[in-house]
Amino acid sequence: MADIKIIDARGLSCPQPVVLTKKALEDNARVTTIVDNETALENVKRLAGKFGFAVTVEPKGKSVYEIHIVRGADFNKDQDFVASCQTGAAPSGPFVIAVTEDKMGRGNDELGAVLIKAFLHTVAGQAKKPDVMIFYNTGVTLTVQGSDVLEDLKQLESEGVQILVCGTCLNYFEIKDKLAAGVVSNMYDIVETMSNAGRLIVP
Amino acid sequence: MKEKKSYDVILFKAVSYALKAEKILKKEGLPHKLIPVPKHISSDCGVCIRFEPEIKSKIEAALFNKVDVEELRTLEN
Repeated sequence: MADIKIIDARGLSCPQPVVLTKKALEDNARVTTIVDNETALENVKRLAGKFGFAVTVEPKGKSVYEIHIVRGADFNKDQDFVASCQTGAAPSGPFVIAVTEDKMGRGNDELGAVLIKAFLHTVAGQAKKPDVMIFYNTGVTLTVQGSDVLEDLKQLESEGVQILVCGTCLNYFEIKDKLAAGVVSNMYDIVETMSNAGRLIVP
Repeated sequence: MKEKKSYDVILFKAVSYALKAEKILKKEGLPHKLIPVPKHISSDCGVCIRFEPEIKSKIEAALFNKVDVEELRTLEN
């Protein structure tokens, strides 16, 4: 059995632990990295995940972890990995998703309609849910009766996600009475929510 | 996680087949849902159609000879 290369990354600042781990994996089939903080742990785990390597984590006391990685067969060492070095908690301010259309992306509308459905379904199933979702322009049509994504939106709502639907837009399409998920909102709330967002995603 | 019950999905060779099938099922009034293909089946950015196992035969009948179906699978939730 091949030797295990041990990288002691305690005391090193991000992205050093992950850089050293990746480097070690280039020459060693088995690497154990010792880290002393959660950011490094997540980054090294993500690195292993991205390349599809088997990874096990052994907690060793307060914030210290031994991460055991077994390199897979198809390792493309030229592939980049970007460590996320944000320290501490997530960016302050709510996580907001703005649904600006009844489709996702530009180019083909039929395809875009499929993608937005898949997107919202995936958001609903994800552990990291947005705090607020804003729907405007043709995006509002996703929130009314007959929409294919109502089930997902209602689920998100029931789990505490605030859904703001542009009233002007509902009015324009004459579907205000058909609203089935979320609450009618206005430009003041929309601008305020966007301005205070820690992260804003537009699919 | 919430719903422990299993459900069935239809997988297609291409997105266009899934769209065609969706149109037919909509017209027939058969409940279904277009969802991304679960990661453990394929890492491609694909879509498939999910439905309740109880209406499997109706779904099959509706799509028979109309849409090329790659596979029908039961998934544990």
